[in-house]
Amino acid sequence: MNLEQKIKQAMQEVAELGDCQLVEPIQPNTLLLESGLDSLGYAMLVAQLEEDLGIDPFTELAIEIYPSTFAEFLAIYQQCLNTQ
Amino acid sequence: MASLLEQLNSQVNLGHIVLADRQFSLGKLQKRALEIRQQFPHFAKQSIAISYTELIDFVTALMAFDGWCQAIYLCPPNVSPKNILPANIDELVLWPIAEPTSGLNPNPDLASRLQHNASDTNQQLEQATNWYLATSGTTGEPKWCAHTFLSLTSSTKYSEKLLGLRWALLYQAFRFAGLQVVLQALLSGADLVDVTAGEPLAQVKLLQDKHVSAMSGTPSLWRQLLMTNKLAKVPLRHITLGGEIADQAILNQLSKMFPQAKIRHIYASTEAGVGFVVADGQAGFPRAWLNSTELAVSLKISAQEHLLIKSKHQFKQTSVAEYDAQGYMDTQDRVQIKDQRVLFLGRATGVINVGGNKVYPEKVEQVLLQVDEIKQARVYAKKNPVMGALVVAEVVLSAEIETMQFTEIKKQVLKTCKNQLQRFEIPTKIHIVKDIANNPSGKLNRTSN
Repeated sequence: MNLEQKIKQAMQEVAELGDCQLVEPIQPNTLLLESGLDSLGYAMLVAQLEEDLGIDPFTELAIEIYPSTFAEFLAIYQQCLNTQ
Repeated sequence: MASLLEQLNSQVNLGHIVLADRQFSLGKLQKRALEIRQQFPHFAKQSIAISYTELIDFVTALMAFDGWCQAIYLCPPNVSPKNILPANIDELVLWPIAEPTSGLNPNPDLASRLQHNASDTNQQLEQATNWYLATSGTTGEPKWCAHTFLSLTSSTKYSEKLLGLRWALLYQAFRFAGLQVVLQALLSGADLVDVTAGEPLAQVKLLQDKHVSAMSGTPSLWRQLLMTNKLAKVPLRHITLGGEIADQAILNQLSKMFPQAKIRHIYASTEAGVGFVVADGQAGFPRAWLNSTELAVSLKISAQEHLLIKSKHQFKQTSVAEYDAQGYMDTQDRVQIKDQRVLFLGRATGVINVGGNKVYPEKVEQVLLQVDEIKQARVYAKKNPVMGALVVAEVVLSAEIETMQFTEIKKQVLKTCKNQLQRFEIPTKIHIVKDIANNPSGKLNRTSN
């Protein structure tokens, strides 16, 4: 499974747990805040990915611009994995 | 000290309250507040419970009843005040006035006595009106904290520069965080825009459309608004963070996006009232403030490394908090001194702050223990970069449970939690463990992992 698939799978898990309905399909330009997860959902997603991937880019990288689309979110995780 | 209405009467400049589709001048609301006093003279010196309906009516009621009634209780909407107010208050006026047929307000005896007392309403109140705000308690029952107009506004700023500001109200006005913003806007002659409803994208659009220039929110809320990628278009000049620990990352991001803005983080709590404001862009507060006499509060650190605070404005001590012999209140916030700064580490009581919402681990543990298969439960905080912290649980199952059944049990636990807890209170992870360690005093160890 590649990183994108892993993130989407984690989103699905978090949505089920957090009673959120994800939009279909999640595109690179899908706005995170319109993807169906709310801020609590995002917090859970970041925690889930930390468990799955062993990284938390928001704490490890000094992120200057918060991601607003799925592509940006993915890029931040990719960047963090690359710097390891 | 003048009341809210007197204070506003003495101001040369008054702003507007702006809703999505209309706006009201404060002058108009002042007039309405005076009419209410004339219409209900028998409310003078009584205790009154104001139920929130909408912002305009709520602010008008505050103006009418502060300095006029003995005590005002700020109640959330859609809840009968009788169900949440302390049981020992027997004579209480409810506002807005209920329909006469409902028999809710006030009881007939009280009504006739109030009418009888109406003749002496011109007398001034001897003491300032107590404002009671609810804070959630360990058991879910609200605790009521007493404030006064003076204690609530001790850090309110007045200046020419503040006059032209437009404040966004992002929290309901009956909550401490919202009330702070309402009072700051009103008393500095600024406008107040109600942005409490809607999703972040809609909120940011409203902030932009209404040219909001001043805003106060928790770090979690700011992070959420940053995620819209549209916040930079809001002409913010005055930024306040509060309700959670403001970390250096969020302070840096905001100062980079709004280099011209004044960025402050505020330390306040429903129990202690307003504490202090930090404006140097750094997390925590300067070490030199400990034992300083120049602030509106006195600060010190206890032997357990908790922050202790004492307000110079007297307000009633409440049973909610602990006080030391000198009258300092234990904030239950753990602090650490590092490089001449006092930094916040989290709550000592185990209370978990999820994006500004308090979660009591004991309450969540009680719910978990309702599931038959769960023998022991421990709820604690897990640090999170989006919401500050998340709720996590460890549970010990009855001996005979097979691994195969774990998924089923977790589902059942989740169902039980969803029925009884708010979303932010539900554990985001449930770890099944063999045993749960107690600390040396025999209490559950709830230290964050």
